Amino acid sequence: MQTFLNALFTGGSRGAIYALVALGLVLVWRGAGLINFAQMGQAMFSAYVASTLIAQGYNYWIAFFVALIVGAALGAAIDILVIRPLKKKSGTAILGSPSMRDAIPVIASLGILGILQSVAGMIWAGSERGFPAPVSTVALKVGGNTMPFTYFDLFTIGIVILILIATSLFLARTSVGLAMRASALNSEVARLSGIRTRSIRTLGWVISGAVASVAGLLVTPATNISPNSLDLILIIGFTACVIGGLDSLLGSVIGGFLLGFVIAFISVYDIPEDIFIAIFLILMGIMFFRPQGLFGSEVGRRV
Amino acid sequence: MLQINNLSVSYDSVQAVNQISFTAQKGRITTVIGANGAGKTTLLRTISGLIAPKSGTISWSGREIQGMRPENIVRAGIAQAPEGHSVIAELTVEENIRMGALFRLRTNRADVRAAISESYELFPRLEERKSQKAGTLSGGERQMLAISRALVSRPELLLLDEPSLGLAPLIVEQIIDTVSILCREKGLTVLLVEQNANTALAIADHGVLLALGKVVADMPAAQLRADESLRAAYLGY
Ligand SMILES: Nc1ncnc2c1ncn2[C@@H]1O[C@H](COP(=O)(O)OP(=O)(O)OP(=O)(O)O)[C@@H](O)[C@H]1O
Ligand SMILES: [Mg+2]
Repeated sequence: MQTFLNALFTGGSRGAIYALVALGLVLVWRGAGLINFAQMGQAMFSAYVASTLIAQGYNYWIAFFVALIVGAALGAAIDILVIRPLKKKSGTAILGSPSMRDAIPVIASLGILGILQSVAGMIWAGSERGFPAPVSTVALKVGGNTMPFTYFDLFTIGIVILILIATSLFLARTSVGLAMRASALNSEVARLSGIRTRSIRTLGWVISGAVASVAGLLVTPATNISPNSLDLILIIGFTACVIGGLDSLLGSVIGGFLLGFVIAFISVYDIPEDIFIAIFLILMGIMFFRPQGLFGSEVGRRV
Repeated sequence: MLQINNLSVSYDSVQAVNQISFTAQKGRITTVIGANGAGKTTLLRTISGLIAPKSGTISWSGREIQGMRPENIVRAGIAQAPEGHSVIAELTVEENIRMGALFRLRTNRADVRAAISESYELFPRLEERKSQKAGTLSGGERQMLAISRALVSRPELLLLDEPSLGLAPLIVEQIIDTVSILCREKGLTVLLVEQNANTALAIADHGVLLALGKVVADMPAAQLRADESLRAAYLGY
């Protein structure tokens, strides 16, 4: 029973992180129509910045907010310096075919991931490092009983839920949120309505970068950070998006939690190596039986 | 005043609009009629900035606007209700309307609210359905919504692309009447694209007949309406 509860809560806090990664991916997907493979590169970079600040004695929360800004700024830079110029060039002969036009920004994002990883390797000499969690990572005790979760699990789940609520309120209730939804759903009608879809798309990259950075900060105390330590999380987050339906925020979040549980139970009851097989099987299963995802709209799929 | 001057637009190999020129007078309804593929939609999309012209100029109130971004053209006072009753199906009716006024929220919040209630007065059916998803509306209601969305930006020039498409005569009449009232009472300039020449020429002041991307007639609407031979040659009836 204890093992079961342990797996359940570990799954919940890992799932929360995957949900964040998936949320970041969906935000860019809905605006720009591409899977941003550089996302966890941005997160890794900002986690390194945070670890440097914390090592120099800065407060955790200062490091946290600096990391958010770094992740957001990297998002804006990728969109403005790489994706926008690529889109502009896509009318030329070589880039003329629609499939190439869609593939090239994705390949570019992989390239950016590589660049971020090697730059981080140069700056921080590729050393693994981490920082302590802001709250205790030992199991909570209530009245002498050891609970199946730690303070840090609660902290993680709390922050993630806060971000999810804030993001959905922003999208549903504010006028900028309406502009973002409109641009994602039909950019032509949005532009005819006077919405500056280009800036709105960049805003999507900014929010996505900040959200991904939080994910990076939340995994670091458990795993330490190295230039490619977040690659696996990106794959899991991507799978979560596919499960949920790439254009559904709620779906991708649920997908994230679902994968968190699956992975936690496999590592507890089975051997951790089977995680990859499980992820692969889930991905294939969804592709075969429900390619639009659990919550995605059938027409909304862009690839 | 909208002045189109020697405008040419082409898609890869197709020359859709070929050296056309005409003028739409302020406060009047100008209609552009023509058969399928005549280049009417291409013309409106070019005015709205969705397509860049190959050559020629579009001047609006004395300012050349060709090549400007669509979002800035809206800010210059030109709004379009596009072909096929384009609304965003996943958003609610109210959200679709508000969308057209988002860019004015910061400068003129009170007027945005006024503009939205005016569009509900114009089309009460929209108010009854304001929290419904736009995708659940009928064709006629969608057209009303597309026009409302364009109107809340407080345009001086309204571009309408085949508002009658697929609608019952009664609804067409209601929509057309609304547009002509806006024009007469508020001085709105209207550029109305139609295949349904009779309806359009009946309310328009001026008519432009387009065929294969060229202007073949440019005259007062009543005169164009009376010209049997032109209509027989280019519209087939
Ligand atoms: N995106 C496009 N790519 C290539 N050719 C196009 C494109 N859009 C329109 N055309 C061509 O340009 C010409 C004019 O099309 P347009 O849509 O402007 O006509 P229209 O007068 O609006 O017709 P309809 O009354 O059927 O709406 C047609 O020959 C059409 O095939
Ligand atoms: Mg057309």
